[in-house]
Amino acid sequence: MNFKSKLTGLALAAAMSTTALSGAFAADDTIKIGILHSLSGTMAISETTLKDAMLMLIDEQNKKGGVLGKKLEAVVVDPASDWPLFAEKARELIEKDKVSAVFGCWTSVSRKSVLPVFKELNNILFYPVQYEGEESERNVFYTGAAPNQQAIPAVDYLMNEEGVERWVLEGTDYVYPQTTNKILKAYLMSKGVAEEDIMVNYTPFGFSDWQAEVSAIKNFGSAGKKTAVVSTVNGDANVPFYKELGNQGIKAEDIPVVAFSVGEEELAGIDTAPLVGHLAAWNYFESVDTEANGEFIEQWHAFTGNDKRVTNDPMEAHYIGFNMWVKAVEAAGTTDPDAVIDALPGIAVPNLSGGYSAMMPNHHITKPVLIGEIQEDGQFDIVSQTPGLVPGDAWSDYLPDSKVLISDWRAPMSCGNFNVETGKCGGKGS
Amino acid sequence: MKRPSFFPLLSWCKPMLKAIQLFLVAVSLAVAFVATDLRAQDATPEMINELALGSYDQTEETIKKLAATGDTAIVPALEALSEGDLYVRKADGQVFIVKKSGKNYKLTDPLSGEVAGEEPTRNFEKIKVKNSLRRQIRSVVGGLTLQAKDASTRLAAANTIIKTPDEDAIDALNAAIEKEQNANVLAALEQARAASIIISSRAPEEKVEAITRIKNMGGREALSLLLGFQGQADESLKPQIDAAIESINSDLAMWDAAQNIWYGISLGSVLLLAAIGLAITFGVMGIINMAHGEMVMLGAYSTYVVQEIIRNSAPHLFDWSLAIALPIAFVVSGAVGLVIERLVIRFLYGRPLETLLATWGISLILQQAVRTIFGPTNKEVGNPSWMSGAFELGGLTITWNRMWIVVFTIGVFFALLALLKRSPIGLQMRAVTQNRRMASSMGIRTPWVDAATFALGSGIAGIAGVALSQIDNVSPNLGQGYIIDSFMVVVFGGVGNLWGTLVGALSLGVLNKFLEPYAGAVLGKIIVLVLIILFIQKRPRGLFALKGRAVES
Amino acid sequence: MISAFLFRAMDRKIVVAIAILVAVGIFIPVSSVFLPESSPLHVPTYIMQLFGKYLTYALLALALDLVWGFCGILSLGHAAFFALGGYAMGMYLMRQIGTRGVYGDPVLPDFMVFLNWKELPWFWYGFDMFWFAMIMVLLVPGLLAFVFGWFAFRSRVNGVYLSIITQAMTYALLLAFFRNDMGFGGNNGLTDFKDIMGYSVQADGTRGILFMLSAFMLALALLFSSAVVRSKYGKVLVGVRDAESRTRFLGYRVERIKLFIFTVSAMMAGIAGALYVPQVGIINPGEFAPANSIEVVIWTAVGGRGTLIGPIIGAILVNGGKSIFTAAWPDYWLFALGALFVGSTLFLPKGIVGTVQEFLAKRKEKSAAKAEQVAEDEAATAGEAA
Repeated sequence: MNFKSKLTGLALAAAMSTTALSGAFAADDTIKIGILHSLSGTMAISETTLKDAMLMLIDEQNKKGGVLGKKLEAVVVDPASDWPLFAEKARELIEKDKVSAVFGCWTSVSRKSVLPVFKELNNILFYPVQYEGEESERNVFYTGAAPNQQAIPAVDYLMNEEGVERWVLEGTDYVYPQTTNKILKAYLMSKGVAEEDIMVNYTPFGFSDWQAEVSAIKNFGSAGKKTAVVSTVNGDANVPFYKELGNQGIKAEDIPVVAFSVGEEELAGIDTAPLVGHLAAWNYFESVDTEANGEFIEQWHAFTGNDKRVTNDPMEAHYIGFNMWVKAVEAAGTTDPDAVIDALPGIAVPNLSGGYSAMMPNHHITKPVLIGEIQEDGQFDIVSQTPGLVPGDAWSDYLPDSKVLISDWRAPMSCGNFNVETGKCGGKGS
Repeated sequence: MKRPSFFPLLSWCKPMLKAIQLFLVAVSLAVAFVATDLRAQDATPEMINELALGSYDQTEETIKKLAATGDTAIVPALEALSEGDLYVRKADGQVFIVKKSGKNYKLTDPLSGEVAGEEPTRNFEKIKVKNSLRRQIRSVVGGLTLQAKDASTRLAAANTIIKTPDEDAIDALNAAIEKEQNANVLAALEQARAASIIISSRAPEEKVEAITRIKNMGGREALSLLLGFQGQADESLKPQIDAAIESINSDLAMWDAAQNIWYGISLGSVLLLAAIGLAITFGVMGIINMAHGEMVMLGAYSTYVVQEIIRNSAPHLFDWSLAIALPIAFVVSGAVGLVIERLVIRFLYGRPLETLLATWGISLILQQAVRTIFGPTNKEVGNPSWMSGAFELGGLTITWNRMWIVVFTIGVFFALLALLKRSPIGLQMRAVTQNRRMASSMGIRTPWVDAATFALGSGIAGIAGVALSQIDNVSPNLGQGYIIDSFMVVVFGGVGNLWGTLVGALSLGVLNKFLEPYAGAVLGKIIVLVLIILFIQKRPRGLFALKGRAVES
Repeated sequence: MISAFLFRAMDRKIVVAIAILVAVGIFIPVSSVFLPESSPLHVPTYIMQLFGKYLTYALLALALDLVWGFCGILSLGHAAFFALGGYAMGMYLMRQIGTRGVYGDPVLPDFMVFLNWKELPWFWYGFDMFWFAMIMVLLVPGLLAFVFGWFAFRSRVNGVYLSIITQAMTYALLLAFFRNDMGFGGNNGLTDFKDIMGYSVQADGTRGILFMLSAFMLALALLFSSAVVRSKYGKVLVGVRDAESRTRFLGYRVERIKLFIFTVSAMMAGIAGALYVPQVGIINPGEFAPANSIEVVIWTAVGGRGTLIGPIIGAILVNGGKSIFTAAWPDYWLFALGALFVGSTLFLPKGIVGTVQEFLAKRKEKSAAKAEQVAEDEAATAGEAA
């Protein structure tokens, strides 16, 4: 590779983007949609699938004639699991490519990183992953689960159906597990669980030697009370964790593990035979038996050209989010972010588990909560489903400073953190 | 993953073995009518078919009803239900035990155990089961198989009752104890009876002996039982229980320390395995080989490919998959190493810092290449049956995969040592790295030796990948997770010294595992890193420093 | 004396580079903020921010080059100093949020509120004052480098051993900052900044100033580095790089020489980090990742180590390439980047600037030789004639 040509190439590209930006850009007759998912680096494992899912959804929509009579065009960039690069790429998508909305991010930190950019440039982000809550922003729509749509129903299930009395909260040491475990601990104690019956443990990212941790779980479980593990262990560390569980003979009948970040995609990398019966809580499983889901899976297999590709919860979240966006744009008659943001709350679209999900004024959506048991073929058998839809709660009721906050982005309140005690927008201080 | 049915017995994993055992038991029971006095009535096919009806709650009721019959013929059906092999024919609601064979199910009648032909899978629906049902089944089956013909089945039944003691089982246990001949099973049965007596509502006097028996049993299960009972025990028993708990606890504490050492050795062997290839490319050749992790990754992907091929074309070889993968991984990684050496690294000898740059670039390319070819998601690499599960050694639980990795690592280490110290090519390698010009003057073809050495280091990284695929993710990021630790190990042990790498890896592993229970995994690792930094101040050339003039350069 | 010190720094290339930096530092913000969007000379904010980021990277690469290129200390942990400077700045920016956080707590940052912390940890005190934060930007990385270097250089840890323990240092810091209990926001880091010295960080004007500061700071660092390198101390520095034992035998206290440059370099990295954070709007433990430090080494090597302009060019080129590639070929850009690293080591072993210098030097030599030849010929002819 020649450096001089690189140099001129760089200069050219810079110059081009400069002139392109200053020139007229409005002549385009497509609507652009940004896809901001890592295609390399540590998060590529999870996020690449979501990029493919978005491309498929956009493709399908174009087959139906696009939106507002225009075709949709996907703009894919690679933020490479590098958080500041997320912010840079978000700015590039909005300022340079003039996208109408962005679907992206996986980790909370990537969302936090792009947040100021979306606020400043006033665009829309659809965020498809379950997260710790404690956020509600005008420019972000959270289509993944808040803690009350995943963690709390799962714990309820274990308590009521399995009679669990002793709890291990096992997580990767970062914000989502820390917050979720705080919420769960407060919730469990409010249900009369004693402090000594809760064990909290954290491990680093990508942790792979689980011997001591699993044996600690075993020891904790031998106190004569029914014990369960609530796992917020993050992506990569799960495979060795489950392998160790299987090998040390922790059976689901004895100490069930319920996970919030383990779905079909993660299980595709493990031999699940020793794990049958361990649980996961999501809002969607590939095994959901509905017509819409069957169709979706078929499309997915056709699009990827691979019959073995699985679907998972964040994909459904994008499915819901994308359809909501389409509907909102059609209702507003424009892709102008302000109009779409105002149109989105109240919009309901079919989800894949046989009902309708609605966007709520706090920019979270309503979803059913499903508990599934791992099967030998890497799928989940649904063992419990909430009777109705659970609305996502941005501000947890189990954290002292957060329970006084509510969020409603409709006029006249238009506030993400309205304090019901002081009756003012903006937390407790102002 | 469903495997085709013409598997030899060897490769069936444990549940399958158990199912076959139970099947045999069931057949013998059906023929010989062994169990008798507990039996209230015969279980009918209609009752079995009821398992397929309605909700989980109904299934639970049906199982209760079936259990009440006391008919041992229901055991295979219940076991199959628990394993998820019990299906209902959609057309007539008939329930069968099925086994997949191609696009069909082989049907077995759940009660009689007779073969009932083959039918397409789409005609059937699985009867769903969940943990609470599995537990229920386990205890029902445990109660019913106490007098089974097969000793291991009886032992399993007794152990089930130890886990979930039941007052109602005491009579059955007494009956079984009377007839039992096998000493092992007898002990287990008596422990099961003791466990059941402890939680029962019987008089405290009866429990005294039971508690002693449980105390002598020792281990986590005994502790769990006693702790569970402690709260509701009769006042007169409390001192005895407290003493028993204390005695078990002190036993366990000793075993815990031993367990930690084992964990440390096991972690150390993983570190050693990951670092040993680097000990050659970096330690011996002086190349700051940032692509080392990717060589490990290539080895793991080779294992994946080998297993895929075996799964698709020769499933009976699955237990041999790792043995087959080893030479292939060695060749693949070694060949890639050879290409890298010839194309890039040979121009960089004497400029070690620039090898850092080039190999970093190579590692990016290899990662992305694997991502493009295999996709970014984790790949499933299965454990052969001899690497699954664990065994007990005194109070230690040792998992087979860790155990084999330790053995394997030691084997690789000594094989490599022998190669370097005892073979002509090893001699040449050492000669070239110690004094290139002199070696060249003596007629050694140094470029060829360089290439061979780098390929050897890469190949060894490849076979490390085969082992690591058994305990970690097989993904494009696999190598990144090991590269830093590998460098730490090599540097800590002393660059250029294989023994140093061995001692370094093991001591870091043990240290890490001893810190973990006190400081937690995260803080433990930080402390280890800080200790490495401090240690290097004391011994700036690692544990086993090379001496002499060559060191300065 | 100082003026003499600086005067020596002024060779032609450095003067030109500084002039360019100052010009860019003035022109781009002015054009971005004041020129209308329709003007052909208008630089969009997006480009300005991008290049602002590159400038801070360039400063970091220059800092590394001082220790690596001129003193032979290959630090694989320089991103740690950068990140520490960034955290110091980030903590100031967090304190400036005040009651505008989502919970409206006047003192505690949001992440502490929802993790139920009741009061501010002691090490957050003082960061509400700008001057204090700025001192910390210099002091924290400087102190760490000083302590680390004090031990390492005194025990004569060098070569790869030093490189690997610097890597261990940044890795340990990475893990430590990931821990939520440390009180630095864990994996999410510090974000959602509002004001810097009373000006909104998102205002175009503030951004312009930050860009200008980055450019000026880089120019200043370049001037300073040039002066250091050209001073007597600089000569000894190169001596340490090329023949450490010999320098020691000549009576120089090698460890002190190393310690000084290592500490100064860490402070420069800290400044770069502090300028980086308000421009990208986030600082998190990912910045400590060992891979980041290796990348800095690569920028420096690509540009040309041991030259002062090289690392600057390397940082801008590699990062510019990364920005373009990740958008143009999102699926394949790593191939391009990897090939760039391999290619540049093989074909440009001295880096871009080094190679150009060599080329120029050769041409000069050739023309000098030619001139000599001509002179000789002339002399010969003259002799013949005589």
